[in-house]
Amino acid sequence: MSADLLTVEGLSIAYGPTVVVHDVSFSLAQGESLALIGESGSGKSTIAKAILRLLPHGEATATGRVALNGRDVLGLPEKQFRPLRGRELGFIPQDPASALNPVRTIGAQAHEAAALLGETDPAVRRARILDVLEQVGLPDPVRVYDSYPHQLSGGMLQRVLIALTVLPRPSLIVADEPTSALDVTVQKLILDMLTELRQELDISLLLITHDLAIAAERADSLVVLKDGAVQESGSSRDIFTAPQTDYARSLQADVPALHPDRYRAQRTVFAAEPTHDVVFRPAAVASRSTGLQIDVQGVTKRFSAGGKDVLACDGVSFAVERGRTHALVGESGSGKTTAVRLLLGLEQPDSGRISVAGQSTSGRSRAEVRDIRRHLQLVYQNPFTSLDPTWRVGRIVREPLDQFGVGTKPERARRVEEALASVGLPTDVASRRPAHLSGGQRQRVAIARALVVRPDVVVLDEPTSALDVSVQAGILELLSKLQRELGLTYLFVSHDLALVRQVADTVSVLRKGQVVEAGAVEDIFSRPQHTYTRALLDSIPLATPAAALGGIAAEAKQPAKATA
Amino acid sequence: MTGDYRRFALTRAGQAIVVVLLAYVFTFLIISVLPGDAITNTLRDPQHGLSEEDIQRIVAFYGLDQPVIVQLLLSLGRFLTGELGFSLQSNLPVSQIVGDALPSTLTLATTALLIAIIFAVAIAYGAQYLPGKWAAIVRSIPSFFLSVPNFVIGLILIEFFAFRLHSFTTTDPHSPVATLFAAITLAIPVSAPLAEVLIASLDHESRQEYALVARSRGLSEARLFAKHLVKPSALPSVAMVALIVGELLGGSVITETIFGRDGIGTVVQKAVTGEDQPVLQAVVSLSAVVFVAVNLVADLASPLLDPRVKLRETKLKEKVGA
Amino acid sequence: MTAILSNTQLRDLGSTPRKLTAGLPPATVLLSFAVVLVVILWSLVPGLFTSLSPVTGDTASKLAAPSAAHWFGTDYLGRDQYARVVHGTASSVTSALVAVLIGLVIGSIIGLASGFRGGWVDAVLGRFVDVLLAIPGFLLAVVIVSSLGFQTINAAIATGVSAVAVFARLMRAEVMRVRGATYVEASYLQGGNRLHALLGHVLPNAYRSVLVLAVLQFGTSILIIASLAFLGYGDPPPASDWGLLVASGKTYVTAPWLVYAPALVIVITVLSVNRISRWLRNAK
Repeated sequence: MSADLLTVEGLSIAYGPTVVVHDVSFSLAQGESLALIGESGSGKSTIAKAILRLLPHGEATATGRVALNGRDVLGLPEKQFRPLRGRELGFIPQDPASALNPVRTIGAQAHEAAALLGETDPAVRRARILDVLEQVGLPDPVRVYDSYPHQLSGGMLQRVLIALTVLPRPSLIVADEPTSALDVTVQKLILDMLTELRQELDISLLLITHDLAIAAERADSLVVLKDGAVQESGSSRDIFTAPQTDYARSLQADVPALHPDRYRAQRTVFAAEPTHDVVFRPAAVASRSTGLQIDVQGVTKRFSAGGKDVLACDGVSFAVERGRTHALVGESGSGKTTAVRLLLGLEQPDSGRISVAGQSTSGRSRAEVRDIRRHLQLVYQNPFTSLDPTWRVGRIVREPLDQFGVGTKPERARRVEEALASVGLPTDVASRRPAHLSGGQRQRVAIARALVVRPDVVVLDEPTSALDVSVQAGILELLSKLQRELGLTYLFVSHDLALVRQVADTVSVLRKGQVVEAGAVEDIFSRPQHTYTRALLDSIPLATPAAALGGIAAEAKQPAKATA
Repeated sequence: MTGDYRRFALTRAGQAIVVVLLAYVFTFLIISVLPGDAITNTLRDPQHGLSEEDIQRIVAFYGLDQPVIVQLLLSLGRFLTGELGFSLQSNLPVSQIVGDALPSTLTLATTALLIAIIFAVAIAYGAQYLPGKWAAIVRSIPSFFLSVPNFVIGLILIEFFAFRLHSFTTTDPHSPVATLFAAITLAIPVSAPLAEVLIASLDHESRQEYALVARSRGLSEARLFAKHLVKPSALPSVAMVALIVGELLGGSVITETIFGRDGIGTVVQKAVTGEDQPVLQAVVSLSAVVFVAVNLVADLASPLLDPRVKLRETKLKEKVGA
Repeated sequence: MTAILSNTQLRDLGSTPRKLTAGLPPATVLLSFAVVLVVILWSLVPGLFTSLSPVTGDTASKLAAPSAAHWFGTDYLGRDQYARVVHGTASSVTSALVAVLIGLVIGSIIGLASGFRGGWVDAVLGRFVDVLLAIPGFLLAVVIVSSLGFQTINAAIATGVSAVAVFARLMRAEVMRVRGATYVEASYLQGGNRLHALLGHVLPNAYRSVLVLAVLQFGTSILIIASLAFLGYGDPPPASDWGLLVASGKTYVTAPWLVYAPALVIVITVLSVNRISRWLRNAK
């Protein structure tokens, strides 16, 4: 035990009378990495802050023992702890965009980290800073040095933060969801870089994450947390191959990459044929023939912002057959959001043609577009912003009926009840406001609102990305069930290829406003043609499990296959 | 950047000029269109002892026998050339009346502004760094300052410092000590919104993740405050300082009355009781000029202070959320 | 626990984060409400609180110090100062109310139109608001009241007009914030038109902070109207508006209670109103 770099024993943390972390213990040996994993409210970030002693003064009280190199630091006066900050204990925060002072240059802030080296000559410090910026893979260190934070991208900022953290050579780095605010491909590059740097400099890592796949891929051991208590801990391999607790098992089952066929059984009932030979049609072949619910042809949209023209959509084409799910995949700036807004008529395309259920949406009057919208509904990404906080759930779900003037008053009430029941919500939520619902419940309300007018096509804009993993699975199950029962056509927008593989039949990969690759999901996954698609696939954690973990994925598939 | 900045500065300056002109028109309309044939009443007031020729001359000068729109254009045209007209009460040039009163008010207002800034910074610093209970008390000070009418503060200060402690006498209201107390009177209500903005932005900034990260790098609280928090908190405060200039100009009317000081405030008082429209018009328009100019400076400074400010997006009204 | 995997729906139903800030507001807020209640009662039924007349006094007991008979003492005509304060409440409170209503209604309409419509409407109304802001509020009030004539109601109107800009600016900012909200866009997709979005979503989400401002502005209006009365721009004596009482009391240096009693009433009232406003803002 005494050889451990970090030992946490019986750590409990309370905000006032509310205890949020209960008796947590774990230890981390020099040079090793450990991941604290849990969903929101699991207390993982609070534990990290307690170790770093960054909990708000006077509001939070921590009891127990946190020992760094055998020395208890929890009760240490701040004056004695401060020399350890940065030099022994580094911190990489979650959101790189807010982790640097916006009104000071990177260089000015880097000098604070460089000062911890004990170097007094500013020129030497600057040289050390430029070195480390280069080391983390920033192409033009001098330019970065002189930049303000808002002039750099999220990925670059996270590299800067990592650089500043490793600069004083701490023995332990605490990284709080270091990549969850970044695009998936960037995420992988950053994690790779961090792993490499860590090994090179012999730095231990305490990784805080909600993503079991990332944790298993990047950490030697895991501590699974739920509601502030340890559920299970041990080596990543053990927990992954043989989770002992129900909670760890459920987390493992909810990792999309491990269970590509999870929802397939529920979905394919409607389209009885094998999925890969029908669904995708290249744009040129697509016709007004039966069955095409969405047909987007060569749509282009240009925005001008700040004097610069941005081509958000550059000749985008895709088509979706009735009852199928088509995915638009891309990272931020890929144009997927613009494509959706064009489809929904929230923006007008500069050129190209869009038709929904055989009806062209261009050149229509406002009333006609409104009519088309009845058949075309949207579920937003974030249920925390898509529901009016001042309305009650019943009124929220009834809104489309009221606005489209569907049915009589009692009929509407009945349909609202039905819609709520179909998304698995009890009727009494109708009288509640969104603030009294959980994220998953809110998203169910949003789905009920979309379905209450009985649309043919539903656009799902990252419908689970704002939710916890375990809640995600519930929502995806529900969506698959509703698709099968109602014969809905889905357009599924996502950045997550692993998720797309679970839910979609066909996919278009978008990058910088262009479709770089399109086809049946199976084809794209087994034979990606474009380098960008390959990069996206590579960035899925555990998508190509290492030999050691290969067995886990296979094992985990068993229960899912049983239902097929 | 420089080309962008020049365009930004010119647009802002143009808008400022438009606002000043509109403010002039607005004031003119309130003074002359609202009920009452004030001007001729004032002129005929035997107290002022104007001769019939004087009256004829003034009527011709202001175009009082012509439609309001002509009067407005005449008056606005003169304002643009810096000509403020003549007082209806004393027949003196308005520029002379204002010029005589201005130094006293400027001294009062700038002293008050300094005191207000000192008060606000002290309150904000105390709210941030005093131990728990004291910080809570300090935090409630701005709300208290906002609840006390400025004439009550003035009367209390006079009662204690002039009548009881004899720190100054009310017979010499322009002495340095008397000026100081008058300035405190004016500063107290004005310091409250400034302190509130400072407290709010210090709270906001110190909760930001970058402050946490800086702490994790071993920065002491004092260095964190000096290096990280002061600058971003100063930005909204600069805008607020510019806004409270208006309050200072308005508040000087009361303060000067209580302390018996001569200044713009007393000029306004006299003009109101004497229905002396040209004087009133001039004082209000010049206040608007001062206010707009100060805010223009604050506005032009903000992109230089804050690298994030996008030149095309800022608008005078949006900077300070109420 | 064993049901977790088989029924995922149960899982997200179980974790309902309910924030129950049940219980009473803090003691200072309750006290503030009590003060406001007393002030309202003073203005509605002054006779319940004092049997003495605010206009006629007993010159034999003039300029008497506060006592059991005369809580706030008496003035130079021997009138009970407490009775004068109580009877002056109605005028002080209603005029502040009128001022707030003017500012709230006109300001909100301007802000709503400006923020929701945007474009040239915003540009035109924006310049108008800029003009109102550019003229120092108290000076503007003085000019307006001097044009309308020296009466308390005119002082109230003047105070209201000078508050229009503050309300307009806040309403505009709130409307612009809400207008871009996802749920407003969603309402268009649910077949709603602009009017529905405005009345159904934007207004209900925007008005709260404007109402909080209205409460705060009520306190400020009491101060401004008192200041105008202090300068003699309100109703002339024997009216007993709070500001006027302070002004007429200040000539009697030997009887400081004539100043401090009404001054204290003003301060306590405004302090209470501000406290309530701050509580509303934080409880929102």
